[in-house]
Order: sequence, then C-alpha cells, then structure tokens
Amino acid sequence: MSFLALFFIVVSLLSFVVAQLLLKRAMESTTTSGFRNRRFVTRVGGGIALMTISFFLTLGLLQRFDLSYLYPFQGLSVIFITLMAAIVLKEKLNMRLTIGALLISAGIVLVSLS
Amino acid sequence: MESASTKRGGYNVTLECEEFAAGRNRLRRNRGRLEDQMRGRPSGFGNPWLQLGLSVLCVFVSELLLKRGATDVAEPDNAFSWTGINGLASPLVWWAILLIIASFISWLYVLRYIPITIAFPLSRAVDILVPLGCWIFLGELISTLRWCGIALVVIGLALVAKPVAQIEERL
Repeated sequence: MSFLALFFIVVSLLSFVVAQLLLKRAMESTTTSGFRNRRFVTRVGGGIALMTISFFLTLGLLQRFDLSYLYPFQGLSVIFITLMAAIVLKEKLNMRLTIGALLISAGIVLVSLS
Repeated sequence: MESASTKRGGYNVTLECEEFAAGRNRLRRNRGRLEDQMRGRPSGFGNPWLQLGLSVLCVFVSELLLKRGATDVAEPDNAFSWTGINGLASPLVWWAILLIIASFISWLYVLRYIPITIAFPLSRAVDILVPLGCWIFLGELISTLRWCGIALVVIGLALVAKPVAQIEERL
C-alpha cells in the first residue's frame, strides 16, 4: 500500500470520528435549547461537511481497493469514537463497554482479514 | 472546600469525605441521566432503538450499492478519481447516497436519545451484516476465520447492549 493511500485512509477515518462527536454535541444541545440557534446549526453543518469529505475519500479508495481490505480501518472507528466520547463528551465508560468495543473492533478486523 | 483547607487538623479527612461523596453523586447522576434520557424517549416509530435498526439497515444496503457503483465507473489511472467525485457517474452511487441521507437522519435522531458510547458500537452491527449479506444473497463463502470474527462482533454487541436492555426492562 502506498503512502498516499494510507494518508487518505487516516484522513477519512479522522474526519468521520470528529464529525460523529460534533453531531452528538449538536443533537444533545437540542434537548435544552431547540433547533433554532446558531450553535446547533454550526455544529451540524461542520459534522455534515466532515462526513461528506470522509464519504468522497472512501469512494476514491473503493475504486482502488477491495471493500474487505478497507473495512478493518472502519473497525478502528469503534475504538476511536468510544474513547473520544469518554474524553471529549465526558460520557461514562465502564469496563463492559470498553471490552465490548474492543471485541467488536477485533471481530471486524478478523472478518476482513479472511 | 475552603473551610477545610483553613483548618489544618481535619483537612485530609474532610477532603476525602468530600471526594467520596462527589464520586458517589457523579455515579448516581450518570446512571440517572441515562435512565432519564431513556424514560423520555418516544415510542412507536419514534423509538430510538427502532431508528437505530433502520439506520443500520440503510447503511448495509448502501455499502453494497456503493461498492458495485464504484467498481462500475472505476478509473484507477486518473489521479482526479482519488477524490471519488467521478463515482457520481454511477446511478447506483446516487441510490446509495439517498440511503445514506435516510440513515443519517435516523442516526441524528438516535444521537438525541442514546449515548454515543452505546449507539456507535451497536451501529457497527452492519459490519457483520455485510459479509452475511454476501453469503446469503451473493452465494459467497465465509471462511472459518471470518465466522470467528463475526462471533467476536456478536459477543461485543451483546456486552454493549445488555446493560441497556436491563434499564429498558426496569422502565
């Protein structure tokens, strides 16, 4: 795999993770302050923009590699999002959730290895 | 806190007691918050767990369509195609985009009610649906290693989902 491919895979993964956190923040704020405020619109807009970037990068990668080859990297997103949600969004993370997330990621890697 | 730091004698004891109480309250608050969020959730079509399922289903179908569409119009020699924009030439890609938008809307709805540490791992159920879909619909073979991977994902999903199911039962 070329350096360029790795670069695009990492950028696509990172933008996806950050987008999810932004969207979660945005939707959480709607329970207290509703949909018609600037914070919500900026966060959802930012989330959608990052998701779009991640989508087109994935589409570009799919033209060059098999879906099964690209999948393990999507598996990593489970670990990243669970960790970042605990750190950035202060969500409660217990042993059970951590082990669950690790098993899911390991499973995804195994599925795509074979 | 302030009175504790001025009194040198009882400082440690008071501080530890306060820390303990704060920790206990935080735990209670966290558990209470999850239960409150779930108690306030709508039922029927608005049930966030149903929406999570719909979102996963849409992503599953869109993944298969995207791969087909991207392969149909692939131009590996063209450097511009790294951006993926030339993929828009395929109608299958457009169907996939529609499904992605649908799944996105239900996903936003899910995020409003369920913590992302629970919702996101559960949404990765799609990672076992895709190989299973290939096995059932396209007649592809699943190797032993792949079955092991699927088993791991199922165990992981069960671990993440079980505490939630217990809260659901109590409500």
